[in-house]
Amino acid sequence: MFKQQDEQIQQKMVSVTLDGEPRELPAGVSVAAGLFSIGEIISRISPSSGKPCSPHCLMGVCFECLMEIDGIQQQACVVEVQEGLVINRGSLGKKE
Amino acid sequence: MSRCYDVIVVGAGPAGLTAGACLAEMGVKALVLDEQHQPGGQIYRRVETASPATLKVMGPDYDRGLELAERFHKSGVEYEGGAIVWNVTADGSIAYSRQGKSQEIQGRYIIIATGAMERPFPLPGWTLPGVMGAGAANNLAKEAGLVPAGEVVLAGSGPLLLLEASILLKKGVNITAILETTEKIPSAQTFKYLPAAIRRTDFLLKGLNMLREIKSSGVVYHKGVGEIKAQGDSRLESVEAMVDGKTQTFPADLLLLHFGVIPNTHIFRLAGCAMRWHQEQRYWYPQTDDWGRTNCERIFAAGDGSGVSGALAAEYKGELCALEAARCLGIIPDYERDSLAKPLQEAINHDRWPRPFIDAMYAPKLDGSHFADDTVLCRCENIMVGDVRRAVSEGVREVNEMKIVTRCGMGPCQGRMCGPAVAEVIAAELRQSPERVGLLNIRPPLKPVPLEEVAEMELDEASQVQADLFKNMKK
Ligand SMILES: Cc1cc2nc3c(=O)[nH]c(=O)nc-3n(C[C@H](O)[C@H](O)[C@H](O)COP(=O)(O)OP(=O)(O)OC[C@H]3O[C@@H](n4cnc5c(N)ncnc54)[C@H](O)[C@@H]3O)c2cc1C
Ligand code: FES
Repeated sequence: MFKQQDEQIQQKMVSVTLDGEPRELPAGVSVAAGLFSIGEIISRISPSSGKPCSPHCLMGVCFECLMEIDGIQQQACVVEVQEGLVINRGSLGKKE
Repeated sequence: MSRCYDVIVVGAGPAGLTAGACLAEMGVKALVLDEQHQPGGQIYRRVETASPATLKVMGPDYDRGLELAERFHKSGVEYEGGAIVWNVTADGSIAYSRQGKSQEIQGRYIIIATGAMERPFPLPGWTLPGVMGAGAANNLAKEAGLVPAGEVVLAGSGPLLLLEASILLKKGVNITAILETTEKIPSAQTFKYLPAAIRRTDFLLKGLNMLREIKSSGVVYHKGVGEIKAQGDSRLESVEAMVDGKTQTFPADLLLLHFGVIPNTHIFRLAGCAMRWHQEQRYWYPQTDDWGRTNCERIFAAGDGSGVSGALAAEYKGELCALEAARCLGIIPDYERDSLAKPLQEAINHDRWPRPFIDAMYAPKLDGSHFADDTVLCRCENIMVGDVRRAVSEGVREVNEMKIVTRCGMGPCQGRMCGPAVAEVIAAELRQSPERVGLLNIRPPLKPVPLEEVAEMELDEASQVQADLFKNMKK
């Protein structure tokens, strides 16, 4: 859905664990933006509708990007990508 | 003992940056907190680390952020990024979470500069992955240099929708359609404001240029569009809309919605500030005096959070709050505050000339009776428009009552996404103004904070953490 077009941005990639799998994300951007950049557009399965959600506002108001980051439910659009983050998108990870 | 400041500023957008810098320049002990990791706010998000390519596409308006950030750093004001403010009280205490720790601090005055958000507008399929705010896409570009791939539809109304369209066109994005809900021919009312707007030809020409760029690109661009629907199974596949009386379908991988911006008022409501209703723009904003002081003596409102008037006005308003706070602290006398404020007030007036015209042109055409029964209203709790209508027919008259009866607004976003539309639906059913159906009560924490983090917090002796602190997180 999104691609990195700005060649002048030299992003350092760091290793994180996404739903139990090792993955690389660009350092220093929000986890939500980082996931978009590797094609992961689903942030979680809505606990109320059972349907997949994706981040909607990217500015901390919609809470559609809530996921477990380092053991805590956090807004992925507010947390920054750092080496070694453990990200779990709940039931989404298990299904895949 | 908790840390104490003369002034704590929440938000590091144009309003907060200017307020913080101005305070520090006068020797006031001030702290600026922002949940983002770099100063800039929404408009100047990550401006300090933007690549030359991003600076070029975003244009000179974005460059302004560099000057602001420079003044901010030079002033030496204390700043903490990645600081999520989750409680503010009228007596000047703030609780925030940073790097996994929460703490409570005190300010003799607090300036809240938390800005605006895109107006959430429930339409069929808006919860599908692939549908997001136009401003959200703008944020992804500033933050990570991301550009939409595949087919993109932009829908809604307002200058920021067209701004985003023109930016995407410059980047060569494949836009299948721009669907504007704004009428083809502006109302007579709009033209009433034209003479005032003409005093700012520079501003009008900028807008006209943008429109010309969009039109000359040959992109499909419709106005007066209605009945927009996002369609798809588990993600967006197409967008349907009523164009010139006919239903049309546009293939889309990404639908960017924008229906104007509204003040982000949760913090004001949490602190107990009195709120006012803006009938033309259909949003709530905190009641303030000419300096930005709310009815809570210690709390000021600056920038778009106090009423949407754009990034430049946000700067000036931030500085006005800072001057008044400094006067109250005894740093500057009345006459100095007044003489420093004069050019700011003039600048605000100059900036304001074209606004009524633009506001009237893109006035939100909101009518709660237009939302379809089977459209999701509350995304968190999956409550439909029809659920709310039914509750009204059963006697519910007010938004907080609605929350108890239907769970609408009870999820983690605390009604940020459904609140405005729920009020429109109830109001339309009762043939009243949304002003009459209330505002959702907001409780701490404003943002999710783990229980353990709060338990480990150093509390001020005087502070009283209420027993229902976690009401919104139990689920
Ligand atoms: C998504 C979006 C994109 C926009 N893009 C543009 C644009 O490209 N061009 C343009 O002219 N206008 C744009 N606008 C309008 C623009 O935001 C405003 O005119 C301007 O930014 C207002 O400045 P401000 O200082 O009042 O608030 P903002 O710039 O919005 O700054 C508010 C700050 O408060 C912080 N904050 C909010 N809540 C908390 C909390 N609980 N704890 C800690 N920090 C918090 C936010 O992180 C943010 O940095 C945009 C608006 C939105 C919503
Ligand atoms: S995307 Fe809306 S809160 Fe994170």
